[in-house]
Amino acid sequence: MRFNWQRLRSWEGLLLLLLIIVVIINVILSPFYLNLGNQINLFQLSIEKIIVALAMAFVIINAEIDLSVASVMGLSACVLAYLFDQGYSMGVAIFAALLSGVLCGAFNGFWIAYVRLPSLVVTLAGLIGYRGAARILVEDRSIGEFPDWFDALGQQPLVGPIPVAIIIFFVLLIISAVVLQRSMFGRYVYVIGNSLDVARFSGVNVKRVKMTLFIISGTTAALAGLLLAARLGAVRGNTAEGFELDIITMVLLGGVSIFGGTGSLTGVALAIILILNLRNGMSLANITGNTQTGVIGALLILSVLVPNWTQIINARLKRRQFQRTQVQEGG
Amino acid sequence: MTKPVLEMQDISKRFDMTQALDNVSLALYPGEIHALLGENGAGKSTLIKIMTGIYKADSGRVLLDDQPVTIQNALDAQTLGIAAIQQEPMIFPDLNVAENIFVSRRQRSLFINWRQMYREAEKILAQLDIKLDVRSPARGLTLAAQQAVEIAKAISLNVRVLIMDEPTASLSAHEVRQLFKLAMALRDQGVALLFISHRMEEVFEIADRITVFRDGQHISTRLRSEVTTESAIRDMVGREIEKIFAKANVEQGKRLIEVSGLSKDQAFSDISFDVHQGEVLGFAGLVGARRTDVGLALFGIEPADEGEIVFEQQKIAIHSPVQAMKLGIAYVTEDRRQLGLSMPMSIVTNITLPKLREYASSVGLVDNQAENEVANRFKERLSIRTPSVELEAGKLSGGNQQKVMLSKWLNTKPKLLILDEPTRGIDVGAKAEVHQMINDLAAEGLGIILISSDMPEVIAMSDRILVMREGRQMGVFERAEFDQERILTAAMGQTIATESST
Repeated sequence: MRFNWQRLRSWEGLLLLLLIIVVIINVILSPFYLNLGNQINLFQLSIEKIIVALAMAFVIINAEIDLSVASVMGLSACVLAYLFDQGYSMGVAIFAALLSGVLCGAFNGFWIAYVRLPSLVVTLAGLIGYRGAARILVEDRSIGEFPDWFDALGQQPLVGPIPVAIIIFFVLLIISAVVLQRSMFGRYVYVIGNSLDVARFSGVNVKRVKMTLFIISGTTAALAGLLLAARLGAVRGNTAEGFELDIITMVLLGGVSIFGGTGSLTGVALAIILILNLRNGMSLANITGNTQTGVIGALLILSVLVPNWTQIINARLKRRQFQRTQVQEGG
Repeated sequence: MTKPVLEMQDISKRFDMTQALDNVSLALYPGEIHALLGENGAGKSTLIKIMTGIYKADSGRVLLDDQPVTIQNALDAQTLGIAAIQQEPMIFPDLNVAENIFVSRRQRSLFINWRQMYREAEKILAQLDIKLDVRSPARGLTLAAQQAVEIAKAISLNVRVLIMDEPTASLSAHEVRQLFKLAMALRDQGVALLFISHRMEEVFEIADRITVFRDGQHISTRLRSEVTTESAIRDMVGREIEKIFAKANVEQGKRLIEVSGLSKDQAFSDISFDVHQGEVLGFAGLVGARRTDVGLALFGIEPADEGEIVFEQQKIAIHSPVQAMKLGIAYVTEDRRQLGLSMPMSIVTNITLPKLREYASSVGLVDNQAENEVANRFKERLSIRTPSVELEAGKLSGGNQQKVMLSKWLNTKPKLLILDEPTRGIDVGAKAEVHQMINDLAAEGLGIILISSDMPEVIAMSDRILVMREGRQMGVFERAEFDQERILTAAMGQTIATESST
C-alpha cells in the first residue's frame, strides 16, 4: 500500500508531526528519555486512563459523552477493597467490582437509550452518585494489603519488562480498532453519531447500540479501576477522582469531534502517545504539573481550531479557483 | 381608489433549476384583506420571504408609499412596518405575554419599566379585544392565543402590512373565528393584510381581493365578487399536463396490502385503500394533508392507533421499521438531508445500511468487497453519476442523492415501496429517470405508493389516486376519472364536483 501523503494534512498527520518534534526535543533534553524503562514508565503512569479513553472514543463518536467513568473506576476499586476487607475471596471481589461497572453502565444506558435523556446530564448524575457510593463503602479509610499476586498485576512486569496493564491496553487497542473500523457495530456507531434519524429510519436498533456502548464504557472503567487498585496497592474513596477530564481530553485531542460522527482510533492512539511523551518531556525539563496541564489545554483548543481553519482555507481556495475558471469561461 | 401601501413590481427569483417567481407583481392596499392562492410550489412562500427580507429578489422593485425600498433582512422589514405571522407562531415560551409583545422593540435602556410595559401591552390587547393576562407565561397558551400575541406584537411595531401564512392550518373552527375577528379589526384600522390559505371557504369568507399564482407566475388578481371557487381553481391548475411520462399498463397481481380505517391521533383518520402487485397508488393533496404520516405509520416509525392492515393476506400491526422491512415494506423519505441519507458517510455505507447484517460475517465483521459490488451494481443500474461509490453522499447532486436513496431501499428487496416526494428538488433529467424507475419497478411486480404534491406527476404515474386533505381521505379516483381540477377540488376540501357541474 502506498503511503497516503494526503493524510499528513489531516489532524492525524499534525499529531504525528507534533509527536516527532516532542520526541526530538525530549531526546535532546535527556539521554535517559528513550530508555525502555522510561518509556514503559510513562505509559504505566496513565495506563488506566488510556484504557478508558478507548471506550470513550466510541461513546463520543456516537455523539454522546460519559462523564461518570472516573467515578465508576473509583466505585469498582472501592467495591473490591470493601469486599476484600469484609473477608471475601479476591475472586468474588474482582467479579463484584466488574459487575458494578456493568450495572453502572447499564443504568446510564437505560436513561440515555430508552428514556432519551441527554447523556451529559445522566452521566453527570452518575459522576456524583457512583462517587458517593464509593465513599459510603470505604468511608475515609485507605484499604490495602491485597494479596501479592493482585498487586503484581499492576506493578510487576509480565512479559519481559512490560507489565500486564500495558499488554491489556494494546490488546484492547487492536480489538477496538477492528471493531470501530471494520465491524457492523462500529459502522452503526458512526452512522448514529452522524445522523441518528437516518439510522432510525433505516431500521438500525439505535437503542440497543447506545445501551451496549454505555455498558462497554462502564465495564472498561471498572476494569481500569481494578488495575489502578493493583498498581497503587491501596484504595481510598477519592481514587481516580477527576480522571474523566483527562480521558475526554485524550479522545478530543485525537480528532474525535465532540459533535460525534468523525474521528478514528489512529488519532486517539497518537494523541495518547503525544500527551504521555509531552508530559514526560516537560517533567524532564522540570516544568511544573500546572504548566503541563496548561500546555495540554492549549493543544486541545488547537485540535478544535485547526480543522476549522483548514476548512475555511479549503473553502476559500475552492472559491478562488471557481472564480478563476468562471473568468476564463467568460473571457 | 386609495394608493397601495406596498407594491411588488416585476419580481423574479430563481433557485438553481427552478424559476420560483417570474416577473410577478402584487399591490397591497390599506384596509384590505388580500388573499393569495396557488398550488404547492406556485411561489407564494418565495414572495413572502422576499417581502420579509429572508430572500433577495433577482430583479424587480419593491415600493412602499410609492417610494422604492430595499429589504435586506428581517430588521428592515420590521422598520418598514412589514410583519409576517407563520403557521407555527414564533413565541418565546419562557417569556410572558407582555415580554413577547415587546421583545423586538429597538429602544434599549438599562432598566425595564415593567409597570409601563404591562400597561401598554394591556392597551394593545384591549384595542384588539383579546382577553389575555399579560403576565402569564407564553408556554401554556393555545396556538390561537400565541397567534394573537404575535398579532399584538405586530401592532406594537406599528405594522402597515401584515402577512398571514396559513395561519388557520392548525386551529379549531372556533379559534379560526377569533382569528378572523382580529384580522377584520386590523383591516378596519387601515392595515393591509395578505392572507394565504389552502382552505377555499376561508378565503372567500374573508378576502376582499384574490390573487392566483401558478408555477411562479401571476395569473389573476380580481375582487372577490368577480371570483368563484371554480374559476379560482381553474386559474390555479390551468396548465397543460406535460406529457412527462405515463405509467405503462401492467398486469396487476395479487393484492399486497389492504388498509382499512387507519387512524392516528392528531394526524389522520379513517384512511382505507389497497395496493396490488404492479400497481402505483398515488397520494395527492396539499401541504398539511398528512400523507407523509400515513407513510410513516405503514413503515412503523409512527405507528397508527387504530385500523386494520392486511399484508399478503396476513392481518398485522406494524410497530417498528425493522418489522416493516422484514415484511417487505420500504419507505423512501421526502427529507433526504435529515432522514434519508447520512451525508458525511459514503454512498456505499448508505446503500447497505438497512441490510448491513447481510454483509457481515458471523463475528460481525463487514465484507467491504461485497458491499462495494452491490453499490457498484446500483450505480450502473440507476446510473448514479459519481466517480466512486466511496464518495460522501453529501457531495452528490440532489438527483443522484435521490438515486442513492432509491438504491438503499431497493437493496432491501421490498414488495411494497412507499415513495414520498421522490422528485422534489431534482432536475428534469433526473426526474424522468426516477419516473422510468417507477415504471420498471411496477413492471417487476412491486406495489408502489407514490406520495407527491406534483399534480402532473401523480396523474401521469398512478393507476389510482387517493386524495387527502388535513388527515382525511377525500376520495379515490380511478384512472379514467383523473382530472387536475377535480383532484385539486377534492384536495382543497370542496365537495367533489359532479358531472353536471362541469
